[in-house]
Amino acid sequence: MAECSAMRESFPLLLTESLDARSRELTHQHIESCSECGAEWLATKETWRLMEALPELTPPPRMRQRFLAEIGVEEKPVESNILSFPKRTWARWLSQAAAVVIVAGGSYLYGHRTQPVRLAPQQATLNSIQPVSIAESRVVKSSALSPNIEGRPDIENVQFIDTNPNDDEVSLSFDITQHMTVTGNRSDKSMVQLMAYVMQNEDKAQPSTTRAIDIVKQTYANSHQPEPEIAGAVARVLRNDEHEGVRIKAVDTLKTLPTATSETREALIAALKNDPNPAVRIKAVDALAKIAASGQLDQAAVDTLRQKAMQDDENLYVRTKAAEALKKLNP
Amino acid sequence: MNHLSDQELMRIVQAGDLSPASEIYDRYSGRIYNFAFRFLKNAEAAEDAVQEVFVKMIKYANQFHGDAKLSTWLFSITANWCRDYLRKADNKSKETEDVLISLPAPLEHGPDRALEQREDELRVQRALQALTPEQREAILLSRYQGLSYAEIAQIAGCSEGAVKTRVFRAMETLKKALTTETRGGDRWLNAVQ
Repeated sequence: MAECSAMRESFPLLLTESLDARSRELTHQHIESCSECGAEWLATKETWRLMEALPELTPPPRMRQRFLAEIGVEEKPVESNILSFPKRTWARWLSQAAAVVIVAGGSYLYGHRTQPVRLAPQQATLNSIQPVSIAESRVVKSSALSPNIEGRPDIENVQFIDTNPNDDEVSLSFDITQHMTVTGNRSDKSMVQLMAYVMQNEDKAQPSTTRAIDIVKQTYANSHQPEPEIAGAVARVLRNDEHEGVRIKAVDTLKTLPTATSETREALIAALKNDPNPAVRIKAVDALAKIAASGQLDQAAVDTLRQKAMQDDENLYVRTKAAEALKKLNP
Repeated sequence: MNHLSDQELMRIVQAGDLSPASEIYDRYSGRIYNFAFRFLKNAEAAEDAVQEVFVKMIKYANQFHGDAKLSTWLFSITANWCRDYLRKADNKSKETEDVLISLPAPLEHGPDRALEQREDELRVQRALQALTPEQREAILLSRYQGLSYAEIAQIAGCSEGAVKTRVFRAMETLKKALTTETRGGDRWLNAVQ
């Protein structure tokens, strides 16, 4: 039996042809003479073969550019036939700046949350009443903060605290120039803006976008109070983030938010049409199907589902999901 | 520069000329990325790992001695980074969901075969995550990177005997997970829902 154990430990080495000739010969002789080890050898070989199922991944080209940029080596851009999902930094800056102006408008947006937001294509200026710079703030109630976040402060070590899940009070603690905690109602305008800011500034904020989205989902999923700013921020993450895991979480979060805005629907349609990852597209179908079930789906989304269901070169599962969603819409 | 050996390229880097960096990156980034992704099951972290490993390679180039393979040195840095990443409790919750990472299989194989391929891929992903980090590191380096037990021992900081045990135990766990699970299209669809 001890011999069997020793022989079986050598099976992986036999598979990689790493045994010396003498050991190889002994192991093969044992396999032929011991039926139990013979069966184990076959199972080991089968397992080794099944492990081939993992595909060899190609690192995204942007990683190479990121590395060379960091060490200061210049090189001509590498052409790629991979459909990328680049960050639109300029667009994000512009939209953030414009968003500040919109927020400064305050009640208008709040009272017309279902209207599509058109972002003004010029640099925003801040003229709101007594804007509070977070960098100068102390420990505060969110109601004491202006919803205007000046500039792009570096927020780190973000922690979400929900001491009592039965009420709407939540806290967000983080480091800027000092450690601070903002406490308030989850629907408070300043809290909403802060959450949206954290989620969209993953290059400035820690932890990552993934965790920020989790926080947002935990705070606003299935809440009674729709927050279009949050939905918009998640939609922008879905459009712009380069990590498929983050985009999947963004779709999941959009699916759980109480009201679908036009921005939400457009982002989901764009993901279904263009996202390079089939898992994201499948999730987008699910989210659109859920929105449809609540009677909020527009014709553009239905048309996209139909197009996907019929698209010959689309992933089989995306097609199937789209067809199932359409069937539910038109039983 | 693609005619130069790893050691020759590193000697140029050690002399202060970073021009071979892209060549070295092209030779090893794929292997490092695949190892980190399979180890951490997190695409975002795998990208960070690759970046950190190659930046460290440049920063600490003088610590590389020609008596070891460059691949062994790079995998040592990568494995250290991945272990540190997993040690941070927060990161355990950052595993990417079961996602389809391969391109759609050619349809000439038929939808059933394509479905099976995807099922197998997800089963292997899940089975690898069920291993201890030490076992996963050893089996990934052995099975997918073709490293010898001596090289893995150097990377993991343990004896060759320990590597042999880790690989064996990993294979036992994988065997149970992969050869006893049933196949079925619904399983995959459920996994991505």
